[in-house]
Amino acid sequence: MTGKTIVITSGKGGVGKTTATANIGTALAMRGNRVVVVDTDIGLRNLDVIMGLENRIVYDVVNVIEGVCKLNQAMISDKHDYELFLIPAAQTRDKNAIEPEQLRELCAELEKDFDYVLIDCPAGIEQGFKNATAAAQEAIIVTTPEVSAIRDADRIIGLLESSGLHNPKLIINRIAPEMVKRGDMMDQKDVESLLAVEVIGLVPADEQTVVAANRGIPVVHNSKSSAGGAFMRIAARVDGEDIPLMAIEPKNGLLSRFKGMVGMSGRTYSHA
Amino acid sequence: MDRNRGFLLETSVVQVIARGTGVAFVIDESSPFDVVASELRDHLADQSSLWSKGDITINVGQRILARDELAQVKSIIETHSGLTVTRFWCAPESLNGGDFQIEAKAAPLYEPSFLTEPSNASESQPIVHNEVVLSESPLDLTPNTAAASKTAIESIIEGLKSRHNKNGARNRNITEALFIKSTFRSGETLEHSGDVIVLADVNPGAEIRADGDIIVFGSLKGWVHAGASGDNKCVIIALDLPSPRFQIGKYLGVAPMSAPQKSKQSTIGPKIAYVRSRSVHVAPFAGRFARYKKGVPYDG
Repeated sequence: MTGKTIVITSGKGGVGKTTATANIGTALAMRGNRVVVVDTDIGLRNLDVIMGLENRIVYDVVNVIEGVCKLNQAMISDKHDYELFLIPAAQTRDKNAIEPEQLRELCAELEKDFDYVLIDCPAGIEQGFKNATAAAQEAIIVTTPEVSAIRDADRIIGLLESSGLHNPKLIINRIAPEMVKRGDMMDQKDVESLLAVEVIGLVPADEQTVVAANRGIPVVHNSKSSAGGAFMRIAARVDGEDIPLMAIEPKNGLLSRFKGMVGMSGRTYSHA
Repeated sequence: MDRNRGFLLETSVVQVIARGTGVAFVIDESSPFDVVASELRDHLADQSSLWSKGDITINVGQRILARDELAQVKSIIETHSGLTVTRFWCAPESLNGGDFQIEAKAAPLYEPSFLTEPSNASESQPIVHNEVVLSESPLDLTPNTAAASKTAIESIIEGLKSRHNKNGARNRNITEALFIKSTFRSGETLEHSGDVIVLADVNPGAEIRADGDIIVFGSLKGWVHAGASGDNKCVIIALDLPSPRFQIGKYLGVAPMSAPQKSKQSTIGPKIAYVRSRSVHVAPFAGRFARYKKGVPYDG
């Protein structure tokens, strides 16, 4: 089995890299892939919390690289019955504890055994970013429709291209449909035209994402959540399925639904 | 051109830097030629697998390089990697000045930088210069056949000289243009001694300094400086010019603060920014040398 290493990065912090990693990883595993997610945010680990595996950590990625433990000792199996593993970051070290080359070797080892190796990249463009991107063959960039996040994403795309990672894919996270409709938030087209990269997913702002993160159960497990559905579709696209992007629209209230029905019936009669 | 972007590989003397979608070897100017030669050799030998095949351009830039050294550089590149040296270019200044030295010059020596395309990006050629394609005048630039290379290089230089004399280039000694075909992104910077043409957007946070004109076939949102060496006659042309600040020569253009939406409506289409009566003006584009009267002053 020769898998693919994908880095999930953003430049700016707090846009949802870790949430995206946890959800895409889970969704890919739910689709029947063997998946391992690697947290490279050394010193500020979060991925284990969001996946609800915090209290099962014994060894971490730095331990593996330093030879303290074997690779499979640091891999934490997800609670569910599909093949999803986590290699957590060390909390007591910093980004300089590992070298890009070491992580590249680690991922090459993992690729032999897994379909997908997802790397959760830390914020910033320093050592941690260099470590995380060195090992990857593909990149997914997470941004929100905010000027600052887009500016950072632009910088990241430039840096990735200069290190040989071409054609990164873009996830636009936390889109608030009402705000887009009012013209208070950039829409997909604005972001796409500025960054000039392929959009692989649009994730609406959804309270359930926060609830899920707090509970340690990725939101893709919640079939009613709009964000969960968006992450499932992203995973399908990563997996090679051709699913068109779904426009994110405000949920219809009772009143607007009623108006729609009246409007539709009116048209029907006028044509009849 | 030494403000570089990217971070791929670094040694003390030879740096590999991404330029657009291509890759450049930039060589430290202050190191003596012997050091550069050995560093370059080691560097290519180390990463011989990376440079499997492809064409490479030797850019001597503004520098003076003895022909034996140029030949040596060519042979180092070709023997230690799969790359083929197909082009060679140098700045017209070093030709017109007549101080292109045939004999090896005593220190200080100036080293060339190299522009190259990795083999996997052969479909895109982001950087085109005033260049001479070597295959048109076939030559063997090995140190052993210095005599043969001498005549070949001389013919190249003569060709460049006649081209530049013919073009005249008016007051400016700028003739070469740099084409960039990929989006210029935040954090990327470029300095160029001629005109710069970008066939994509220039995003916020990107910086371009050119001694000549800057032409953007896209939306110009970043910071650009045309006529960076002090030529106020240079212009900035862009299909869309939302950039809030840019500079021509010594004059700073600052977009007017009032009613941005109204001005957006009235000025759809390509724009030109130029200097008139000591301030930068922007007008709908009607030609590089057209007489512009109704420009909007960009003075904040």
